Amino acid sequence: MNNILKYLRKGELALFIIFLIVFIIFSFSSEYFFTLRNIMNVSGQLSIILIAAIGFSVLLIAGEVDISIGSLLAFVSLPLIEIMNITGSVPLGIILCLIFGIIIGLINGYLSVYLGVSSLIVTLGMLFILRGAVYLYTGQRAIPDELMSDFFFYIGNGKFMGTIPYAAIIGLIILLIFIFVMRNTSYGRKLYAVGGNQEVARLAGYNIKLLKLSAFVICSFLSSISAIILASRIGSANHVAGDLFEFQVVAAVVLGGVSLAGGIGSLTGAAIGVLILSVISNGLGLLNIDTQWQLVVNGVIIIIAVGFDELKRNRSL
Amino acid sequence: MKYFQTNESILFGLLVLLCIFLSFYNPQFYSIQNIHSILRSSSTVMIVAFGMTILLTSGEVDLSVGALMSFVTVIVMDVINITGSISLGLIAVFGFCLFIGLINGLVRTVLNVNSLIATLAMMLILQGSVYVYSMAAIYNTHLIPLFSFIGQGFFLNIPMPVVIMLFILPFFVVLLNYTRYGRYFSSIGSNPDAAKLSGINNNRYKVIGFVITSLLVGVSGVILASLMDTGQQGSAKGFELIVIAAVLLGGTSFMGGKGTIIGTILGILILKIIDNGIILMRIPQEFQLIVPGFILILAVYFDGVRKKNSG
Repeated sequence: MNNILKYLRKGELALFIIFLIVFIIFSFSSEYFFTLRNIMNVSGQLSIILIAAIGFSVLLIAGEVDISIGSLLAFVSLPLIEIMNITGSVPLGIILCLIFGIIIGLINGYLSVYLGVSSLIVTLGMLFILRGAVYLYTGQRAIPDELMSDFFFYIGNGKFMGTIPYAAIIGLIILLIFIFVMRNTSYGRKLYAVGGNQEVARLAGYNIKLLKLSAFVICSFLSSISAIILASRIGSANHVAGDLFEFQVVAAVVLGGVSLAGGIGSLTGAAIGVLILSVISNGLGLLNIDTQWQLVVNGVIIIIAVGFDELKRNRSL
Repeated sequence: MKYFQTNESILFGLLVLLCIFLSFYNPQFYSIQNIHSILRSSSTVMIVAFGMTILLTSGEVDLSVGALMSFVTVIVMDVINITGSISLGLIAVFGFCLFIGLINGLVRTVLNVNSLIATLAMMLILQGSVYVYSMAAIYNTHLIPLFSFIGQGFFLNIPMPVVIMLFILPFFVVLLNYTRYGRYFSSIGSNPDAAKLSGINNNRYKVIGFVITSLLVGVSGVILASLMDTGQQGSAKGFELIVIAAVLLGGTSFMGGKGTIIGTILGILILKIIDNGIILMRIPQEFQLIVPGFILILAVYFDGVRKKNSG
């Protein structure tokens, strides 16, 4: 009982209620919305944002930010598709894609943490550099997947037992792992401490730099997994893939109550944030409402949700 | 000696080196047409960057400037097409910008939403609603010469956008450097609590900062519409990142508290001349994204190193 009450006071519940309301409204207004097929479709689509959002939240909790993830998404899908096309081996492509992701995370982290440049600026620069590199390499054309392997196709498009998308399963597993890591391991608690109060974390003897660097790598690594799923869905390495992706992720994560100031927020909240925005865009799409209006609605919801959260926090102080 | 260690003088040195290098490489760099084109494209960025410098100095940021600017090009073209009056077009634009700036400021101060999020949401709202306003690009059917003059004309052989920028510039140099209001903005950014305790109404100045920025976006948007001769829904996509990159390169801190207009101008000129150089040197255009990315990181890194040494 105590646990339930404690949970009620947390931000997640308010978010979950918003999610339910949205869900019920759409179920009544579109007959197609509340069907197994549609729900499974949405869960497959949202996993791309969800996986990146998990990494982004971990980094925000550690007190840093990475806005290069959209460009990274396009960048790491190049080695993925190219290596697959050349060698004919899917695992090799995936491994190289993830290695590229980790390297970019290390660079971002090294510049921000060890050289002391603000992570916002480092990753803003990285956003330009990676996107430019993608344009340069591809000549602003999409590179198609010529291998056409079934395995690769199934990552983004296949369904377990014909119903649950593999992408959603991957997303859920990663979510559960990181919820556990952030809540129940000393590593996760240290990240909260570093993001919440760096001075205290330093006095407690934590290796702040290494912890932050690891958060950068987690963020880039998970974004690379998103990139693999996206590349599988669209069947190519697309030069404009991930355009404005960073803004979508920021919006969902902050809606989910993860603070930009660091040290505050939970992955459950972030996941619900992703869920709300994805369900809204799906529901509006089913109601034949233009994508333009979806942007407007998303913007308004973010302002209301974050504003409401702030008001509540101020009152409780 | 101390003067040579300031951020501005280093940026200025970099700018001079760039110019010397480019003029050796390609004498066309100093042709009138080329200089005009650099200045013209710098001006629209500069005008918005004046506002962004004030905002960043007071610890806030506005990500909605690019989306607002695209919207402005559509509105100004449409209203002038319908009414045939430039004044009405300008009134519509500045009314709209005033409204958006107020909302940004009020969401930041009354609802207390972090400005990165508030203006990100505003960016989404504007990007969507501009298509609700009009699905298609709006072409210039009024053909009023004065309107084309705003972006394409010359005054004493100086492109009009530059003239407009030079007209606005002194206000901001004086405002930031020689009035108490300038100090208010930087004290709000460097230490909000201290500013509040010394009797400054933080929220009021923040709202003013957002409104000024939006109005300046209005000016740049009108210039852009005149230059392109169309109102296009995506014409200033990504503009916010260029403005922010240039302002940060100019030495303004993202954490608030310090920033100069001169630094901002030097930052923009460096980025634009690099852009131009990449074209003149026939390097693939993609480097127009890559090189500024490197320069941004390097500039801020060296700024940090210098501060560490001097402190």
